[in-house]
Amino acid sequence: MALRDFLKEFFVTRWFTPNACRPLPLVFSQFREVLKANNQALEIIADMGEKLSGEYLFDLRYVESTVEEMIVAMRRAIAAINILTQDQCAVLHEVFTPMESRVRAILNKRDDREGPPLIWLAEVETRHWPLVGGKAAHLSELLHNPRVRVPEGFVITTRLFHDLLDANGLRPEFDRFEHLLSDHLPDEEAVEALRRLLHEKVLRAEPPSGFLESLADSLQRLASVSEPTFFLAVRSSAQEEDMDFSFAGQFHSVLQVPPQAEAVYRAYLEVAASLFGAKAIRYRRQVFPEGGTMSIAACCQHMIPARASGIIYSVDPMEPGSQNMVVVGALGQGQAVVEGQVPTDFFKIAKGDSLQIVERVIAAKHESLLPTGEADGGLAMQAVSNDQAEAPCLDDRILLELASLANHLETFFKRPQDIEWTVDPLGTLYILQSRPLLITESAKGKPRLYEKLEGYELIAADAGRVAQQGIGAGPVFWVENLADLKDFPEGAVLISHRDSSQFVQVMHQAAAIVTEVGTPASHMATLCRELRVPCLVGVPEIMAKVTPGEEITVDAEDRRIYRGRVVELLTYQATTNMDLHMAPEFRMLRRILRDVSRLNLVDPLMQEFKPEGCKTFHDVLRFIHETAVLELVELGRDDRCLPGGMARGLDLPIQAGILAIDIGGGIAPDAPRDLIPFSAIRSIPFRAILQGMLFPGAWHQEAMPVSFRDMMHSMMTTPQDTLSGQYTGHNIAIISETYVNLCFRFGYHFNIIDAFCHDVERDNHIYFRFLGGATDISKRSRRATLIATILEAFDFSVKTRGDLVIARTGNLVQSEMERTLDILGRLIGFTRQLDVQMTDDQAVARYAEAFLMGDYGVVADKR
Amino acid sequence: MSETNTRLLVVDDEPIVGKRLKQVFGKIGFEVETYTDSASALAAIKDKSFDIVVTDLKMEGIDGIEVLKRVRAMNPGTRVIIITGYASPDTAELAQKHGVFAFLAKPFRLDELKQVIYRAVETDRAKE
Repeated sequence: MALRDFLKEFFVTRWFTPNACRPLPLVFSQFREVLKANNQALEIIADMGEKLSGEYLFDLRYVESTVEEMIVAMRRAIAAINILTQDQCAVLHEVFTPMESRVRAILNKRDDREGPPLIWLAEVETRHWPLVGGKAAHLSELLHNPRVRVPEGFVITTRLFHDLLDANGLRPEFDRFEHLLSDHLPDEEAVEALRRLLHEKVLRAEPPSGFLESLADSLQRLASVSEPTFFLAVRSSAQEEDMDFSFAGQFHSVLQVPPQAEAVYRAYLEVAASLFGAKAIRYRRQVFPEGGTMSIAACCQHMIPARASGIIYSVDPMEPGSQNMVVVGALGQGQAVVEGQVPTDFFKIAKGDSLQIVERVIAAKHESLLPTGEADGGLAMQAVSNDQAEAPCLDDRILLELASLANHLETFFKRPQDIEWTVDPLGTLYILQSRPLLITESAKGKPRLYEKLEGYELIAADAGRVAQQGIGAGPVFWVENLADLKDFPEGAVLISHRDSSQFVQVMHQAAAIVTEVGTPASHMATLCRELRVPCLVGVPEIMAKVTPGEEITVDAEDRRIYRGRVVELLTYQATTNMDLHMAPEFRMLRRILRDVSRLNLVDPLMQEFKPEGCKTFHDVLRFIHETAVLELVELGRDDRCLPGGMARGLDLPIQAGILAIDIGGGIAPDAPRDLIPFSAIRSIPFRAILQGMLFPGAWHQEAMPVSFRDMMHSMMTTPQDTLSGQYTGHNIAIISETYVNLCFRFGYHFNIIDAFCHDVERDNHIYFRFLGGATDISKRSRRATLIATILEAFDFSVKTRGDLVIARTGNLVQSEMERTLDILGRLIGFTRQLDVQMTDDQAVARYAEAFLMGDYGVVADKR
Repeated sequence: MSETNTRLLVVDDEPIVGKRLKQVFGKIGFEVETYTDSASALAAIKDKSFDIVVTDLKMEGIDGIEVLKRVRAMNPGTRVIIITGYASPDTAELAQKHGVFAFLAKPFRLDELKQVIYRAVETDRAKE
């Protein structure tokens, strides 16, 4: 879109809408209603999210009643924004309805029944997790990780499993079985009889109608990206498998399956029936003694022709405190390794600063599991030549590559991993599975943890608040502005003054996050919980207490930070962190929050920022808040809509030409009618901006010399903004005690600051828009870049287009808001006429540097 | 803070409660025993004395108030803390009457419980 069209759209359409002329106090009170409703919903979501941090004890009753409250609050927020925008957001009702039914399906434990029966692995999103099972969910995450190679394929979902039960009349038996398992002391004979019956009937089940055809289509699609001859591995992916419990070896896998629908379906039935295998049921009753529903999906992936395969543990389970990794491997397919059918090579690798192979035990591997070579698939043990049998199954290069990958996956998933790998004949490494490594604490000589901790230097105790529980250690990495994130090293501890949802970019690499300000209810905290990054917020002056590069250990359980790597704490973490996620209330709450609290619409400036782009409750609320703010931003623009006779002049030591319109509590009641002194301004955000404008040296009074060419430009480019009626030649501030909409509408540029600021940080926002100038477009654009650079340094989310700058920030505590608004006040003064001096690109960096250093005089000096 | 000698017993029919509290207080050096039924918990208390007992209110068989009464009868020095998802002023008052040390409504922050327990330990020490 050309700039002119863009502007036209921006101004003209909004300018003349009849809605614009509602009474200001009414619009403002409707805005406050939106905030209130939004807030209530957000508070409930935050509250649920915080419960997941591990800091709380709660039960299922809490989950159920809170979800109901949350849905009511969401509906109220949607109603409120429609009152404010006069039904411009009616579509939100339609957007929200399916979200609501999905959450209800989770509450009713039916979320594994709704969705497609087949789904491509690369197309799995978080909302599909209940459908594809834990293993496939992990694999799909890995597929998006550029460092990891995962065989391609698709998932036969739990939806198909349920369809299968229904189509074969097995539903009553299945329900009875689940019911029995949740009994305190069930009739064991009945359990066993039903288990056998279900196992046998599933093995012989008929496919639901149309399924074989869909399966054939998926196989066709897989064939189109495969070698002419290929086979599949059909592996179980049960609902809880690999998420919090390994279910290692409990379910069935069928390997080397030919790519024909009938054969894959048979293999699938074996996998599905294994949900009712004796072994699996025993394990399941052990880990979920209180019962709970479970279904099974199957991953159908390319079978990699394996030269060697095996397992790597990112932590040595025998010595969790040792900083070693352990690899076992054999020639051929890995099934022989995990089932202990063949002797294996053993390697130990020390993590340290660089990876080092510290131990090798090479076995004589006279047999390996390999394809039979038959067209109908299958694997068989085959003899290995003597010289091959005695050689290590992996060379050092691949071994170290594997170890480095395991390190990466441990940081990525935030806990020790048990990883199944395979190497093809070309030496390419594939990951078949990555699941949490269970480490059991050695019974003898249980360490007296707290005594050992006394040997470490404590940097902070009772530090801030827990956003996500956990323990993480690594070198300190300071993030002072968002650009620093691109250099974030794997496994580091992120230390920052403020929190930011942008940290999500590095959360997979971060061992822990500590911020000086922030709350457990922020977007960042939500993301930390989702990705399980140990996180403390509101830890005062932590940046002064640690230096970049030094190792620290963050205990986000007891809110302590230690200097150095506290091996005992990390070991403690590796041996205990499973328990927490075991309880049914935790599992349910986590599933619900996946659909509720994830924020996809992070940046209002992005394309998808529209009702249809909302995927979660949080997205909807975010959209509502932003829409409400934009509605307010428009308030001051069309001065024909502003009430006459309400505007009052200010008595300031600078000639800012501002008239204030008070819509409630913005000016002291005993202030003079006109020429209001600074001391009588009660509006928190307006006062903060004025404070900045009045800062010594920030406001430049004298007019800049404008060249003839620049003057011509200004006459051609500014009219859209300055067309107005009664207040021509004035800057207008619409204020209340907690609000300001400041519109600089004179001169050659157009600048809006819209801010809401009080003690509830979630309500707080700043919207900043700057456009135009008196000079030619290149100078104006340079000024825009200068403004953008400065705003980015203060953590604004910024977008520029030509000489237009739009910047936003929010969710800040009141003191931070006031500080930021003060800076904006200085920035207004500093850059007011600076476009004239923007003669080259170096000027941008020079002036940005000067401003950030507090050297506001540089403007006057230049003159 | 290391509480080397503090003995804590937890009884709650939801296994997560005992597991969590064992984790949290074991980490800072308490000796923790956990039970999911009140009868076995009371049997354990008969065998040896605990400094602090944390009990759920609603449990099958012997409920939290009854646990409180019996514990106080066996060892008046033991501090009893009741945790419940069904807090009502009436039960709180009843618990008060029988000498409960604190009454906490679920869901609560583990840190809150920690502070309550620290307070119980301190008052114990002050008495000595």
